[in-house]
Amino acid sequence: MSSEQKPFVTDDTQVQTETRDARMAGADDRFNSKLREAFGSSPFILTKFDKFMNWVRGSSMFMLQFGIACCSIEMMHTYAIKHDLDRFAAGVPRASPRQADVIIVPGTIVSKFAPRMKRVYDQMPEPKFVVGMGSCTISGGPFQEGYNVIKGAEEVIPVDIHIPGCPPRPEALIYGIAKLQERIANGESSPVTVKPYELEQFGDLESDEIVDKLAAQIDEDDLVMRYNWADSP
Amino acid sequence: MSLEEQQSDEPAELESGVSRGDELADLLGDLVVGREEHMNAPGLVIRPDEVQDALFKLRDEAGFDHLSCVTAQEYEDRYESIYHLTKFDDRTDEVSVVVPTSKDNPVSQSAEPVFRTADWHEREAYDLVGIQYEDHPDLRRILLPDTWQGHPLGLDYDQDRPQIATLREHANPLEEDHRAAGDSNTMYINIGPHHPATHGVLHVETVVDGEQVVDLDADIGYLHRCEEQMCQQGTYRHQIMPYPDRWDYISAGLLNEWAYARTAEDLADIDVPEYAQIIRTMGAELCRIASHMIALGTFALDVYGDFTAIFMYAMRDREIVQNILEDLTGQRMMFNYFRLGGVVWDLPEPREEFFEKVRDFLDGLPQALEEYHDMITSNEILQARTVGTGVLPPEVAKSYGATGPVARGSGIDYDLRRDDSYGYYDELDWDVVVEDGCDNFSRLLVRMREVEESAKIIQQCVDLLEDWPEDERNIQANVPRTLKPEEDTEIYRAVEGAKGELGIYIRADGTDKPARFKIRSPCFSNLQTLPEMSEGEYIPDMIASLGSLDIVLGEVDR
Amino acid sequence: MSLQAVLPDTISGLLGLEGVLGDVVGGLVGAFLVANIMLIMTAFAGPWAKRKITAAFGDRIAVNRIGPFGLLTIVTDAVRLLSKELIVPEGVDRPAWDLAPMVIPFSALLGFAVIPMGNGIQLADPETGLAFAFAAASIASLGIVMTGYASNNKFSLIGALRAVAANIAYEIPLVITAASVVIFAGSLRMSEIVAVQAEPLLSVAGVTIPTWFAFVNPFAFALFVIANLAEVGRNPFDIPEAPTEIVAGYQTEYSSVYFVLIYLGEFIHIFLGGAIAATLFLGGPAGPVLPGFVWFTIKIWAFFLFTQWARSAVPRLRVDQFLEIGWKGMLVLSFANLVLTAIIVGVIA
Repeated sequence: MSSEQKPFVTDDTQVQTETRDARMAGADDRFNSKLREAFGSSPFILTKFDKFMNWVRGSSMFMLQFGIACCSIEMMHTYAIKHDLDRFAAGVPRASPRQADVIIVPGTIVSKFAPRMKRVYDQMPEPKFVVGMGSCTISGGPFQEGYNVIKGAEEVIPVDIHIPGCPPRPEALIYGIAKLQERIANGESSPVTVKPYELEQFGDLESDEIVDKLAAQIDEDDLVMRYNWADSP
Repeated sequence: MSLEEQQSDEPAELESGVSRGDELADLLGDLVVGREEHMNAPGLVIRPDEVQDALFKLRDEAGFDHLSCVTAQEYEDRYESIYHLTKFDDRTDEVSVVVPTSKDNPVSQSAEPVFRTADWHEREAYDLVGIQYEDHPDLRRILLPDTWQGHPLGLDYDQDRPQIATLREHANPLEEDHRAAGDSNTMYINIGPHHPATHGVLHVETVVDGEQVVDLDADIGYLHRCEEQMCQQGTYRHQIMPYPDRWDYISAGLLNEWAYARTAEDLADIDVPEYAQIIRTMGAELCRIASHMIALGTFALDVYGDFTAIFMYAMRDREIVQNILEDLTGQRMMFNYFRLGGVVWDLPEPREEFFEKVRDFLDGLPQALEEYHDMITSNEILQARTVGTGVLPPEVAKSYGATGPVARGSGIDYDLRRDDSYGYYDELDWDVVVEDGCDNFSRLLVRMREVEESAKIIQQCVDLLEDWPEDERNIQANVPRTLKPEEDTEIYRAVEGAKGELGIYIRADGTDKPARFKIRSPCFSNLQTLPEMSEGEYIPDMIASLGSLDIVLGEVDR
Repeated sequence: MSLQAVLPDTISGLLGLEGVLGDVVGGLVGAFLVANIMLIMTAFAGPWAKRKITAAFGDRIAVNRIGPFGLLTIVTDAVRLLSKELIVPEGVDRPAWDLAPMVIPFSALLGFAVIPMGNGIQLADPETGLAFAFAAASIASLGIVMTGYASNNKFSLIGALRAVAANIAYEIPLVITAASVVIFAGSLRMSEIVAVQAEPLLSVAGVTIPTWFAFVNPFAFALFVIANLAEVGRNPFDIPEAPTEIVAGYQTEYSSVYFVLIYLGEFIHIFLGGAIAATLFLGGPAGPVLPGFVWFTIKIWAFFLFTQWARSAVPRLRVDQFLEIGWKGMLVLSFANLVLTAIIVGVIA
């Protein structure tokens, strides 16, 4: 979808400004290229090239074939007959994260799965985008009060687009992806969020009651994720 | 029928149940240290160190060959494991074996030597409630990470304490008895939790020797969303009903809702109007078709290898079902359509249009199925792939508590819709589909033929609904605003979900929320059979077997 | 037999160059042209035609927003993939890991050197042309083994081993079946094989049917096409990749440019398979009215369409069944075909 024929126009001046600020301040350098650094702020050719690249990235994406829970059923419907996400050049599911651009997170993330999802996300090559599908990826959704449920995908990986719904209809998913394509084509990126839960080596954790207790079970250099349920939103 | 009749059956059943309880207590003799009365079955209290004796006797001498569920719970003064036993031949003959253990030393004998299915059920009980099972072959956490602290469904669990989960590849050392003479070279691979063929987030720890699976261990819990806790926090009347939709989320929503509705209605003694039962039956069978369609599509995906034509065709037919269900309930997947005592609203107006839509779908279905048979089941390569692979003999299936299409594909004639009838099923003309090939192909065939049977049921329901007199369209019984079943009433009821026997155990404590809400998920038991089917087979066969089991991780992990 | 001049000679002739210089320049320019023709076809096939064909089989539309009929997807897909981060996982065997993605497409391209594409487009016409084409095409499996071994990934390794097994099992029937054509044609030279097929076989109602070996010996043609499907690793023989079993097989760890190269390699390989089949059995570039090159293109695209059709409609075989069919079925049948052909040709001659 080229930036000229935008079907859904919202107020994106604000976002653009924020993005530009973030980019120039160095807080978010996802769209900063080496060339840009070398040639100064915005020479004509490079901006055109940037624009072209953004259009390219927005117009073609491979999805990661990634199913978690209920939403993945609607995601399959979105790929399949009738909704056919591939019309937007975004419907090639790749099984290997190395070959995917977009990860749709379709479902509830629980404590056991969060480290694995983080790992899969890390395996994807840059530039990569995340679509959070469904209420569970926003806040934990209907399961927010569960003892085992991560309160939203954003606790673990940065999310570019949130699609609310339980589950969102295929139309909503298509809208979300079209919106994501539009944002990418405009060169906007989402602000990188602070992720409370990170994969870290067990040895690096601060010693406290639970760490001491587990010290016999876990090796120093095992990767672990520590959940502070009390501080979760 | 007959809801009145059915309801009037209840006391009679209960009465015979009492005598049945005496009979069984006599059989077990000194093993029984006490008696309880559950609403569905007599309860026999057994000492924790005599569980195996009692269960062996009940299995071999009284014929209770189906351990449907193991419920564990913590009371103020004790822990308790309940073994819900029943028979594959006679589902209405039930008995609950209650095993209390002390608070400071919650150790109970394992039932694993008697029923293989107890393996995972007891691991779950240990994981969530904290009861230790002696003699259990492999008692470790199943749903939560190995490093989890505390048992979340215990009474004193602090949900706010921090937890640590590791990203360690679980070592799965090659078991001794699988090792070939000399030192064979094996390789350990992780299939999942992110893998194209695991239907969600299942982790299969596989040891392969070349292409052959030597050892296999299904690691679950990647979608453990605390469904039981959620239900224990909700009030009977309204707050629980949305959750069943999300257990088996493959559009089997109404079937799951029915499991809760049936249990809670029996618990609170609510009659459902006949008209509402017909609507329920129709909706549930539509869900079954939708669910089997996706089972077909994803099985094709596993065997064909990509999002190809069969998958697309199955999704096309599913879209039609989903549209009908959306007309009926207002949602595509998470219907929340049943209410205790009925359904939330009547059929959509104009009714003729709705009936026409359903009829159009039913008329087109034979042709669609014909197409599937042409493309899938009569394809020689597919037959070569599926006939004789993933073999699950009936005795093994029974021992693992496999139900639904998996059991029926192994020649076990067991269907709760007929054997423990509910809703409007016994008034309608339909057949239980059984195939005795015991392999992947029979399971596929069972599902495809069940779609035909469901279509038959829907056809009859539509006929009935069309002719129903306008002033008798009662969709909802009178139900008190707040339901507070009496303290210490316990009930275990099951319905035939899309994947098999979906049971729910509820213990009431006199408040408007259940004290213990336990879900018996068919996929949980069915998935246990995977090692039996796949060890010694090739990787592709393992994938195909997994596909033919048609598991839903939301229901396995709950 | 007087042979048509090969492409490099034509080019050096046009440029008026002679001797070694003419050979070098002509060869380079010719190779550049042929390689680009094939790359352009692959570019159409990979990101666009494949999606459109698969979608058509599954009642979908597929790309239609980016450019007319979604054709600009070719540009966007290519540029995007080339601009992505190239991840080099820890523990990969570096030279092999980097070389493998080059070996796969270039070996397939090499095979096109001896294929007569019509209108004088043929880079070289050695006496052992057919043997060269097969030899070049099978280098690709070496590349696949390299990817699998070097990736340090178990799924890749399984994929690579499967690819080797597949290659050994099906290369033999493929070559033996091709040998039956050689018995007919009496030569390994590609241009001669094509020339022999130009002779009329019989004439029905004024339409002359040429001696395409597909008409002369349809049995061999069927065998060849099946073995060819296995060679290029498409359903029902796509076991080296088998997405639902071993993720993406040998290419699991490859991203960005390397992935593009492997992907290209696969498609060029399909086209090479189609080209060899067309040359051996369908009269190469021969055909009425349209120029030879167009016919050649139509024929290899027909084979491509066939592979995609099979992919959409036929389940995948299990690896042991696959090998069983190769060793116990295809091999025996191809030998039987060879012996029978030899006897018949011997009797007639």
